[in-house]
Amino acid sequence: MPETQTHAESAGVESAAGGGSWISILGGVTLVSILVALYGALIWAPTEAVMGEVQRIFYFHMPSAWIALGPSFTVVFICSIVYLVKKDLRYDRVAGASAELGVMFTTITLLTGPLWAKPIWGAYWTWDPRLTTTLVLWFIFVAYLMLRSSTSEGHKRARLSAVFGIVGWIDVPIVFMSIRWWRTIHPTLVSGEGMSMDASMQAVLMFSLFAFSLLYAFLLVVRVRQLDLSSRLDKLRQQLYMR
Amino acid sequence: MSQIGFLFVGYAVVWVALASYIIAVGRRQLTLRREVERLEREMRAQG
Repeated sequence: MPETQTHAESAGVESAAGGGSWISILGGVTLVSILVALYGALIWAPTEAVMGEVQRIFYFHMPSAWIALGPSFTVVFICSIVYLVKKDLRYDRVAGASAELGVMFTTITLLTGPLWAKPIWGAYWTWDPRLTTTLVLWFIFVAYLMLRSSTSEGHKRARLSAVFGIVGWIDVPIVFMSIRWWRTIHPTLVSGEGMSMDASMQAVLMFSLFAFSLLYAFLLVVRVRQLDLSSRLDKLRQQLYMR
Repeated sequence: MSQIGFLFVGYAVVWVALASYIIAVGRRQLTLRREVERLEREMRAQG
């Protein structure tokens, strides 16, 4: 075995880069699911009686919002706590990757919402509690990513990011509860009487949620492995230049 | 803009956002791969 491979393996580069067959399968299943969800949203689901065709934005808007507020930022919160307890940088990397995805899905939510709102409310944006708290959440996690990119990897950055991530996450339950705590014009999907939707619309929505969950899982795994590889490369570089 | 127009722009936004993120991740992957190759060359040169 050549010496170069031995060094690469000693730094864990090979293990971080390889073993991607199950990731390819997950990627394939995710792509097919997204395409099926797209077909369901644009073709299979019936046209909503009052709002018309533009209501179909909802089938990708709501899952984006759910993935951002649910898994993405909650993973940041949990991994930040675990990092502070265990001081293991792997949790910091998972938090960073999940925050990136959370910002991306929140961006999709904040852009698709106004495109639905304009023909329905007559305005792209109102300072409604749900909209405002979601925008605040987006700013918080954009700042979180800026903090991460402005300092080099290490325990100092991880500690700062973890505290920021935990404090920033406090806005997540506020976004969820905003439609119950304050007067809002944002639609409420789930009430005490269950979901106020046709069964076929519910089926499309549920499938879209499933497809977006797979997409989040796939992108998170890919990004975390990439960050692991980057970290191991840094160690390899240090070993090489110290020889 | 018509309802279909808003719908089209809405879905275009989703695809553009996803594609941008995936392209950014792909470019980082390419950079990392080049870095691995560069380090391997340096190691070979050092013997």
